[in-house]
Amino acid sequence: MASKHTIATRHAQGIRARFASRFLRSLLRVRRSSNRFGGSQSNDEGIGKRIRTDRIKIAAYAAMARAVGPRRTWSRALLFKLRNRARIHGVSRKRCLVSEKKRVTRNKVVAISREPSRADTLRKLVPGGDSMDTCVLLEETAHYIKCLATQVTVMQSIADRLLL
Amino acid sequence: MRPCSREMQGMNSLLNPSSQIPLQDLQNQQIQNSHFDPNLSSNEDFLEQMLSSCSWADPKSPWDLNPPTNLPFPTNNSSSSAKHRDLFNETPSSNSDSNNVGFRNSFDESVILASKLRQHQISCGNGAAVSDAAKMMLPQQLLMAVARGGLSLNDDIDGSLSQGGDGSIQGLFNGFGAGSMNGTDGASNQSMQHFNHPQARLAAVLQGGAMQSPNLGAHGAPATTAVMNQPQASGSNGGAPAQPRQRVRARRGQATDPHSIAERLRRERIAERMKALQELVPNANKTDKASMLDEIIDYVKFLQLQVKVLSMSRLGGAAAVAPLVADMSSEAGGDCIQANDNGGSLARTTNGNQTASTNDNSLTVTEHQVAKMMEEDMGTAMQYLQGKGLCLMPISLATAISTATCHNRTSGIINSHAHLHQSNGEGPTSPSMSVLTVQSMTMGNGGGDGVAKDAASVSKP
Repeated sequence: MASKHTIATRHAQGIRARFASRFLRSLLRVRRSSNRFGGSQSNDEGIGKRIRTDRIKIAAYAAMARAVGPRRTWSRALLFKLRNRARIHGVSRKRCLVSEKKRVTRNKVVAISREPSRADTLRKLVPGGDSMDTCVLLEETAHYIKCLATQVTVMQSIADRLLL
Repeated sequence: MRPCSREMQGMNSLLNPSSQIPLQDLQNQQIQNSHFDPNLSSNEDFLEQMLSSCSWADPKSPWDLNPPTNLPFPTNNSSSSAKHRDLFNETPSSNSDSNNVGFRNSFDESVILASKLRQHQISCGNGAAVSDAAKMMLPQQLLMAVARGGLSLNDDIDGSLSQGGDGSIQGLFNGFGAGSMNGTDGASNQSMQHFNHPQARLAAVLQGGAMQSPNLGAHGAPATTAVMNQPQASGSNGGAPAQPRQRVRARRGQATDPHSIAERLRRERIAERMKALQELVPNANKTDKASMLDEIIDYVKFLQLQVKVLSMSRLGGAAAVAPLVADMSSEAGGDCIQANDNGGSLARTTNGNQTASTNDNSLTVTEHQVAKMMEEDMGTAMQYLQGKGLCLMPISLATAISTATCHNRTSGIINSHAHLHQSNGEGPTSPSMSVLTVQSMTMGNGGGDGVAKDAASVSKP
């Protein structure tokens, strides 16, 4: 089933359609899960919404990363991060922090204490940017921006359609 | 690169009576730089010292005791170069000759001329300064020794080169001028492979020295850079080759040093990536790389923030959205409009949300304003509404929405640009929606009717 889906969507109008289909499905999943747990959203004003917000956000990023596939460094890094986060959420919070830090420092380019240059800021923003040199970083940033923009447009149109 | 240029600089300073670089430094440099064979007789040392000293003498340098030597290159070059060309068994050299020829010529020339100079000096005792310079240039023997390695003194040429007196010194310069003329071909990389490293470097130095004349600077630089396998080529960034004095610089894009080539490749790749990014990012009119990077960073942050906001809008929680609104209005106000269309409208909508929620009076005022504007021009009215994060909507639709959303989750952000509806967008539950609807009906009947009628016809901006 998963393979069929990927094959079907691989060539379907590029990344936008792929992302849209994945995102919608994951959105439905989130809705169903939230409905199952909380009933309506007004149940828990603060935390429930936040959790759901995060879930939706994570679903969006995951859908985008999967739509892009493992071809890009940032998508691989993003998927890796999300998978670990999901796995670690199950285990415990404390362990999560520790292992995250370890993971991060392992991948990081040599840490020199200096004023964070622009490239470093960009590295923090782009997933998986720590282990890229400047040249690759710029390339990945370009692709990442493109995918983020399509993500935003799709989410926006979904929001529009949903509200009406 | 650095050592060589410094060494040349040092040599240059040696020519000046008031040398600034101490001899010690020079010696150290020489010892560092050179792995040459110092096995030379004193005579030859002297000769080559002269050679090297003369090679770096700038025509305008204050070699006071021999004013004739400070001849401008161009005037002498043409005549002497023709003469020198005849002397050599290679094909008559022009500027386009391969450096190979040029360098052979220059080597022969230099040695010959140096010998001439020496003879002249010994005979005339004229070159007092020259001798001083020669003595000072003792360390330079090492370099010359290398040059010697590939040269063969051609005594036959000596006679033909005899000019006597000061002319010999002049001849030296001329010879170097000729050599420089010969060696102006930029595509001399292959030729330099014939020479050893040190030889090549020396040749480069000689050529470079010979070409210190600003007139020949442009010509000289490519040849010298072609010769220089060491990082002597001071980067292809090197500005005008006609820079003052003995700094041999690579002309743009002419460096043959593998390091600088790799660097240049890297820089080019980065530049083209930046160009690609420029097209993606709005507000990309910045030419500066740093500001472009800033713009890119801001845009990525903005997009990520948009995703966050959109994921919140699914919930439609005003409480969740409100804290974002301040950020959006302040930070993304300018960006939104030029950036992603949807994003922009989203930001404006959220902005409108907050303003609407905080102040109902402002809403009525807005409505009156819009009504007035609609009488004049529909377009500006719509733009005004859009700027506020509102838009027009048939009342029937508004009621439909209010009823639809009252039991659904709280209506969050209703995107203004996609639909014709007038809403305050925020408003946690239906009562506010109905209030707004009522308001719109009482807005001003003239305007209100116009709204109702025109809503259908007004298209999405």
